[in-house]
Amino acid sequence: MEVLKDKIIIRNLSKTFYLKDKTAEVLKNINIDVKENEFLVLLGPGQCGKTVLLNILADLDKQTEGKVEFTDGRPKMGDLGIVFQKYALFPWKTVMGNVEMNQKLKGTNKETRQKSAQEYIDLVGLQGFEKALPQQLSGGMKQRVGIARAYASESDIMLMDEPFGALDAQTRYSMEDEILKIWEKKKRTVIFVTNNVEEAIYLGDRIILLGGSPTSVKNEYVPDMARPRNYTDTPFLKLRNEIIANMDLAL
Amino acid sequence: MNKNKKIYYFLPVLSLLVFLIIWTILANKDGSMLPTPLATLTRFFEIMQKPISKSTLPLHIWASLKRVLIAFSIAVISGISLGIGLGWNKKFNAFAGPIFEILRPIPPIAWIPLVILWFGIGETSKIVIVFIGAFIPIVLNTFSGIRAIDPLLINAGKVLGANKRQLLTDIALPTTIPAILAGIKTALSSGWMCVVAAEMIVAKQGVGFLIVRGQESGDTALIVVCMLAIGIVSAILSTILTKMEGVLCPWKFSKTK
Repeated sequence: MEVLKDKIIIRNLSKTFYLKDKTAEVLKNINIDVKENEFLVLLGPGQCGKTVLLNILADLDKQTEGKVEFTDGRPKMGDLGIVFQKYALFPWKTVMGNVEMNQKLKGTNKETRQKSAQEYIDLVGLQGFEKALPQQLSGGMKQRVGIARAYASESDIMLMDEPFGALDAQTRYSMEDEILKIWEKKKRTVIFVTNNVEEAIYLGDRIILLGGSPTSVKNEYVPDMARPRNYTDTPFLKLRNEIIANMDLAL
Repeated sequence: MNKNKKIYYFLPVLSLLVFLIIWTILANKDGSMLPTPLATLTRFFEIMQKPISKSTLPLHIWASLKRVLIAFSIAVISGISLGIGLGWNKKFNAFAGPIFEILRPIPPIAWIPLVILWFGIGETSKIVIVFIGAFIPIVLNTFSGIRAIDPLLINAGKVLGANKRQLLTDIALPTTIPAILAGIKTALSSGWMCVVAAEMIVAKQGVGFLIVRGQESGDTALIVVCMLAIGIVSAILSTILTKMEGVLCPWKFSKTK
């Protein structure tokens, strides 16, 4: 395998929340190297601080200790694509309005930004729904808008925070295929957070298992299987059992 | 199916009939101070043609409505601004919030004596009273609307590159429009109530003035005509605003799913 360039280097990162009468240590001593254009999955139980880690990467929150280094320089706000678990679409904007939002805020003229937005709407398969409001769309379609909106930032790094967590199982499977297809077409560095082992193995180039209290990196797995992977193949099941044996149970 | 639907046309008519019957019975009792529905209707047609204090009923209604609309417009602009300030800026909230909390529960009508002393008995004092009545619900709704914004949407806005001003104009304000419109609706009906109260105390025109004139001359039919007019105008205003809601925020009030 070729040696991939480091894209994001996370070193000794810790995060403690100081509440009124107590402190809560959420992340401790996290070290992760994210490679360029890889599909990296962060796997961990619910409430383990995965979102906090993404928020730190996105500059929505600050770490208590340690550092995050972007080898190509820290992207400015608006230059990083994020897909949220609960879609976070703007309800008063149409599909087009949501997808073009990033370029609109940056002051790109209407014709250019809508042309670019259209490209991403087509990419996620929502052509024909440009004028629909989010409330008229199903959960899967809403998240397609979320993905298109994140891609439209033209960022080479995409953070995805349990993007399919709110979808039903069937939609989830098809969205997993969809996100891989999009990633193959437009290569980006993807950091994909999930609490679902199968989803992690199905998608990831690499899987970082998070766990413990406070949360730290427990292990790293490389699913050595060609895509599309099969949920019932022996290596798939073997890796699944191996990861589950090491996983904390979230109650 | 068809039968079931018919009943929904029938029930309002029935309630109106029952209302009119009870009204007629009460009005026909000995020594009743209530005019009959028929007497009220007659009085209505009379005042449409024969002016009181130089104006027919529509002109009196218009006089009241004009005061409401002027005061209401000022209240919308200043109320939304103050509401945004209180909801968006923590320091401004710490500064102005406590004063507003103390002034807020004072009924607008309690201001009437002071306002008359300050502004005299002209148009200004009535507009000021209505303004106070309309201003407060708008501030409160705008404020709580801004406070109720899902932090996730604010984060999404930040991530998409919105600067501080854009966060307010492009993310926070559109999210708050439904709450602001609800405040505007309350403000309009509150303002309409205040104008009647203010006119009852001092005015030469307006429906509140007409009611007092009716009381002074023992003209109960005139009082009831005015009361009904107040109710109907208020219902029309609120219908217009409800229609506006559907146009202004289809994502909140349209019937699509």
